[in-house]
Parts: sequence; structure tokens; C-alpha cells
Amino acid sequence: MVSAILGLAGAAQAKPWWMRGIDSNETDFLPPDVAFRVAARTDGAVVRVRWVIADGYYLYRHKIEVRAESPDLVVSAPQLPPGTVKTDPYMGTQQVYTQQVEAVVPYSRIDAGAHPLQIKVTYQGCAEAGLCYPPITKVVSPTVGSPAVAASEPPYPWESTAIIAGACAFLLAGLVLRKGRKLDIPA
Amino acid sequence: MKASGLRYFVGALVVLLGIWAGLKFHSVHRVSEPEVAVPAGVASAPDPNEDSVLEAAAHPVVPARLPDFALSDLSGKPTSIGAWSGKSLVINFWATWCAPCRREIPLLKTLAADWAGRDLTVVGIAVDYADKVRRFAGQFKIDYPVLIGEQDALEVAAKFGMTSPAFPFTVFTDRRGEVVALFVGELHRPQADFILSEVQNLNQERIRLPEARRAIADGLEAMAAKNAG
Repeated sequence: MVSAILGLAGAAQAKPWWMRGIDSNETDFLPPDVAFRVAARTDGAVVRVRWVIADGYYLYRHKIEVRAESPDLVVSAPQLPPGTVKTDPYMGTQQVYTQQVEAVVPYSRIDAGAHPLQIKVTYQGCAEAGLCYPPITKVVSPTVGSPAVAASEPPYPWESTAIIAGACAFLLAGLVLRKGRKLDIPA
Repeated sequence: MKASGLRYFVGALVVLLGIWAGLKFHSVHRVSEPEVAVPAGVASAPDPNEDSVLEAAAHPVVPARLPDFALSDLSGKPTSIGAWSGKSLVINFWATWCAPCRREIPLLKTLAADWAGRDLTVVGIAVDYADKVRRFAGQFKIDYPVLIGEQDALEVAAKFGMTSPAFPFTVFTDRRGEVVALFVGELHRPQADFILSEVQNLNQERIRLPEARRAIADGLEAMAAKNAG
């Protein structure tokens, strides 16, 4: 693994610091927002918060927090799956997540619609190659994923087009049939 | 009646075509949806400024010389880095919550002991809560100087070009206060010995600073390639 040394005039090349790691076959340290990508969506009465974690990186289970950001929002503690047990002689035994993890967060709203739905997520992780990022806190606006809302707000633009096209075809067919009936009626 | 039948047939065909078109558009869209992906929330949406942010961070301005700063020591006494003026320094930025930082502590203690009497000092800078650091320093018997700070320590990290720091990272200076190397990530003995040997060469004026920096960059590259192979 390429070692990290940077910003030194006369060095062979000036790679960004996260492009250099130590003692592993991974070649890069990633910026934290690339190492840990977070997204959220509503699903009925819960918000599903998912982290996608880059290869060679991990998130600590006990460092994941989800809080309400919108003033009219109440969230319960996130429900998290068991993580992988990681034992470090200097850190003890902890549960970590690799690849991806989803937190299920029950929520309710006191005055739905008065404020945009926003949650605040905190998480912290490291690179296996020997680097840790400080805790990251982000305000996330979950996308709407519940079927009830999807019915009034179609999430897919093609669905609206297809429905309109079907309606037009039905109207056209009706006109054709109506014209045919008139001709068949005896005078 | 034949013409009427044809009209019924055409009408039915148009209706079926419309239904088929609707189902087709719907199913094509559903099938193309990734299985595991969650619709992106605001936080993970591509940031239009991301490239420029990354570009700016790709060239951190590491100072040529050790910047002046002061932080509290373990007893709470404000201490300037200038207190070790005239010595080569190994300045290790760390935090108690950081596993690789913890793993480095025995190495840093060993370096401090091995280089004692040769005008080299190891200084830890804990970017963390003071009470946690004091407890940890006692538990791990850290016997080299430790300075502590929260936002003020982050500002010190920024003075070394680490505006969005990850930990650990270690700065090496020569006895004149020139920044010889900044090593990001967990430090291991071979890399530390190699960098310090070049610092010694500088201190004894066997080489000049640009040569030392190039030698360190090349040497670390070679060590990494050997480890990877």
C-alpha cells in the first residue's frame, strides 16, 4: 500500500491524502462521503436509512444515531441488525457493518405537512488500512416511498404518460364504436 | 354488418393497444429499478460542487515550517509547540475513539524512549474531550507530552493543511522546524524509522530538505510496493 506523505515540494507526485493508504492492498483512502453513502426513504410508518459502505471500510454499530430534525417529527430509536463482531486489542470488541446496512426508524408527525420531513443522522467509521473519520452528522430528507403517497404522487413519470395514453385510446375506440352503431340503426 | 364488425375489431384493438402500452411502460420501469438501491435522499444526492470540493482538498497546503500554536497539556496548562524549539518533532494527531490511533501508542512510546537524548521529542495532539484523554493517557501510561483540544485542536490540524482531518496523522519536523513529512494513517515501525533516519540526515546536514523529502516519498513508495507484492 502506498504510504501517505503529501504537500511536500519536490515530492515525486502530489496525490491527495486519501489517495494514499498504508499496509493493505487497497490503494486509496476515500473521502468520508464516498466511503460512507447515506440515503433514506419513508416506508409506511417507518423511515429506512441505508448506508452503502465502500470495500475496506466499516461503520461502528454503536455510533449510529438517528434524530428528528423537523420540529413536528418524533422518531424512535433506530432498529439495527446485528453487526459483525470486530475485536481490536486496543479498542475491545465492537460490532461493525461492512458493505451496507439499513436502520429502520419508526416515526410519527404531530403536524404533518407543516414542515419538510427531515432527520439528522450521525455515524462514524474507519478504513481497515488504518484511518478513522470523525463522527459525521448529516441532515437527510427521506424520499417518499410508501404506496399510499405514491398513488397520489406517481413516482414514475412514465406511469402518468401510460395512463393518459390508455385513456385517449379508450376514447378513440368509443368514438369508432359509436359511429358504427349509428349506421346499423334502421331508419 | 361486415363493416360494423371491422369497426368493433379496430376499436377493440385500439383499447388493447392502449392497455398493453400502459403495462409495458410500467413493467419496463419496475424491472430496471436496482434491487438493493434505496431512492437517494438529499444527503446522498450528487453534490454539484463535489468535484470542486474534492479538487480543493486534493491539494492541502502543508506548511514548509512548523506553525506556531498552543494547546492545553494534560494538566490543563497552555503549552506552546515552541516549548520544544530546537528539537526534531514527531507530532501525532489522534483521538481516543480511533482504533488505529490507539494501536500506534506503543510505537510512539517506543520511539520516544529510543530517541531520547537525540534531540527528538514525540508530542501527541489529542483532538478529543480532555477528561477522556486524561483517563486514556493514564490507562495507557503515555509518557510523552500530550496536548489536548477540541475545536482549537482542529484549527491546529488545519494549520498543517488537514482541514477535514481523519486520524491518525503524524507530522515530522527537523530541528530547524522544517516540516519534513506528513504521514496519514496508522504509522508502523519501518516507516517511522525510515522517516526519522532522513530527519537525522537533515539534522546532520548530510542532505538538503528537498532531497530528504524526495527520498522519503520514494522510500515509502518502495516499502508499500514491497508490502503489496
